[in-house]
Amino acid sequence: MTAFAGTWALTRAALRRDRVLASVWVLLLVAVVYASAAATESIYPTAADRVEAAEAINSSPAIVALYGPILDVRSAGELSMTKLTVLYAVFAALLFLVLVRRHTRSEEESGRAELLGGTAVGRDAQLAAAVLESVLVSLVLGALCVLACVGGGLPLAGSVGFALSWVGVSWVAIGLTAVACQLSASARTCAALAGAGIGVLYVLRAVGDTGPEWVSWLSPFGWSTRLRAWSDPRWWVLLLDLVLGAALLGTAVLLRARRDLGAGLFAARPGPATGSPRLADAFVLTWRVHRTMLWSWSAGVGVMGLVMGAIAPGVGDLLDSEAGRQVIESLGGVGKLEDALVAAVLSIAGVVVTCFAIAVVGHGAGDERDGRTEQVLATATSRSRSFLATAVVALGGGTWLLLVTGVGAAVGLGDHLGGFVGAALDQSFAVWAVAGLALLLYAAGTRYAVLAWSVLAAFFALGQLGELLDLPAAVTGLSPYTHLPAMPVEAFAPGTAVALTAVAAALVAAAWWRFLGRDIG
Amino acid sequence: MLCIVRVVTDPVVHIEQLVKTFGATRALDGLDLTVAVGEVHGFLGPNGAGKSTTIRALLGLLRTDSGALSAFGMDPWADSVAIHRRLAYVPGDVNLWPNLSGGETIDMLLRMRGIEPAGTRRAELLERFDLDPTKRGRAYSKGNRQKVALVAALAADVDLLVLDEPTSGLDPLMEQVFADTLAERVAAGTTVLLSSHILSEVERLADRVTIIRAGRAVESGTLADLRHLRRSRVVAEVVGEVPGLARLHGVSDVHVDGRTVSCSVEPDAMTDVLGALTAAGVRSLTSAPPTLEELFLEAYRPAAVPR
Repeated sequence: MTAFAGTWALTRAALRRDRVLASVWVLLLVAVVYASAAATESIYPTAADRVEAAEAINSSPAIVALYGPILDVRSAGELSMTKLTVLYAVFAALLFLVLVRRHTRSEEESGRAELLGGTAVGRDAQLAAAVLESVLVSLVLGALCVLACVGGGLPLAGSVGFALSWVGVSWVAIGLTAVACQLSASARTCAALAGAGIGVLYVLRAVGDTGPEWVSWLSPFGWSTRLRAWSDPRWWVLLLDLVLGAALLGTAVLLRARRDLGAGLFAARPGPATGSPRLADAFVLTWRVHRTMLWSWSAGVGVMGLVMGAIAPGVGDLLDSEAGRQVIESLGGVGKLEDALVAAVLSIAGVVVTCFAIAVVGHGAGDERDGRTEQVLATATSRSRSFLATAVVALGGGTWLLLVTGVGAAVGLGDHLGGFVGAALDQSFAVWAVAGLALLLYAAGTRYAVLAWSVLAAFFALGQLGELLDLPAAVTGLSPYTHLPAMPVEAFAPGTAVALTAVAAALVAAAWWRFLGRDIG
Repeated sequence: MLCIVRVVTDPVVHIEQLVKTFGATRALDGLDLTVAVGEVHGFLGPNGAGKSTTIRALLGLLRTDSGALSAFGMDPWADSVAIHRRLAYVPGDVNLWPNLSGGETIDMLLRMRGIEPAGTRRAELLERFDLDPTKRGRAYSKGNRQKVALVAALAADVDLLVLDEPTSGLDPLMEQVFADTLAERVAAGTTVLLSSHILSEVERLADRVTIIRAGRAVESGTLADLRHLRRSRVVAEVVGEVPGLARLHGVSDVHVDGRTVSCSVEPDAMTDVLGALTAAGVRSLTSAPPTLEELFLEAYRPAAVPR
């Protein structure tokens, strides 16, 4: 098979390149699994508590839409893994989106694939290596998940089933990304397509879990719940993941054979022969580079807000139930339940929107590495302008996306416009602080920009694990997200807002000062 | 009575004893470089000699450790914007914005320099360089990316063109178009700093040359001054006795191995060498211009005694 010559060498190179990224991501996921498994016993000490909590979850369409139903209300394992079975499987899937794209389309876009293609490496070897590497990582993730569940006190058989449901979702994500990476010549577009694919599968499951069940059978995320890992497992469901993943991979190989290296399946449309008179400034350039991404993100968070607003009234039934209140509290919300759900989802939205800001900053670092920033700075553009253009799009874009989320939620509910928009915008203070930190890392040197993702992951993990592991406030307080009040339930906290804004301003100013004083490139 | 007034103008670029370190590496190690008004200054050196570092310091993109550096009499670090209004730059490795078309990129770079593209030679240059402006940045080949940067730089009148290996990736036809276009700019009074590792290119275009090696200028002068650097390497196999070439003026580095002789010959001495060889009966003869590496070796030991 000469088409695959060199696959093993490439796989080893890929594993080496990803040793930090993949390890950190996998370990964070495994830590959450362990913490969730170990915490269940203390949160719900008796079987009766657990049944009450599970029934409360099932009776709330909003929570079921978010996490999927609990099929066996007596199962301790299923209750412990409520958040993880479906929602966190998305975070696992995203790891494989990143890995597969990184070693296929990104390599083609940068021209490195061509460099390798000229060596004794087969035509399909790079795709094969990306897939092989990802499969190996998914198996390690699965094995560690089993250990984490068992270590947290859950039964072995169920732990294996749960871990395999993640491995299955991972394989579908690998196949999906492999297909997406054949479609467009732009690595960003490929990521957007694969991300949208994962989003659609997630929403299909949400629709099926709260409406006609057959719709959930259309989504691997639905299969994960219906595997019934913890009691009376249907192992054949795992075959669905395997078959879908393999079919997607087969499709990717077929598509790969129909296109040239570096090209997309769709021919690139020609662009305008002349530039718009407005495209004459670093700000307009940065806007132009990111506007497609901003519009796609706006659509994504808008839909997320709409869905959240639309299902929020269903939570009201839970008002009298103590267990229901406890479930919501474990999501991070307190007080009036429909508001609490919005608060809980907004706290996730804050982290998600920060990803946009970090992506913008990371793009700025990439522009500098590739010499595009140098070309702009060789014109009459000052360093301040070039830097501030990135900062404004990152922070302004993040704020805009939160506004869209809030408006979406209010439209979905048909009420509470001011309250929801205010609550959503309150997240900006944390987004600005983290984006400021990302800018400072970028200003310290282009190679440090990528660390912002680790920082965000750590902050997110602190928020998720902090309560489960009973971490001291001094540790959880490192994350700016933990300081925000749970609006709209809790009142706006002007002190926090001012403090976080000051932190963000100081970080941006320090970054600006550093960028002005350092070498470019 | 005819009175010749020599206008003494300040050099466009003046660099003296410039040092730039990256960690433990000294990329520039006491570099001197002066570019006078209106001249094409060839900046010649092997890969990694510090050509791009010099140019990037000149553009104010790098902070330097010590030494003096000025462009148009201004400090590139403090007055970069004012300096950049008067120059155009073509980087050695052109990367474009993947989503912008070539035409958009050219217009944007021009407008960022404060120039309205409509009044420029843009259309004419696109034609001459045979460049399709509607392709997206990611779809261009290396040569075409280079052309985008060249059109943006050459379309409008500037006082100084800073070109870092501008012909890399261009085919010979396009190299000629570039040379013609550059000559027109020079005729119009533009000063050019042209970095290259190709001697013939610099020979063809430049008035003066600075040769840089390991971050230091090892030779600087007009091409006539550097004539001794233009020695050809002659290798001949003769039928009879090897003639005593070392005695001839302008011949150096003579090596004799049996009936084969090799030596370095200055242009003026070539006739004498060929005469001597022909008299001995030539079986084979090659004459090659010196490789760049030989030039730098030569430049590093200018006092070497010919054997």
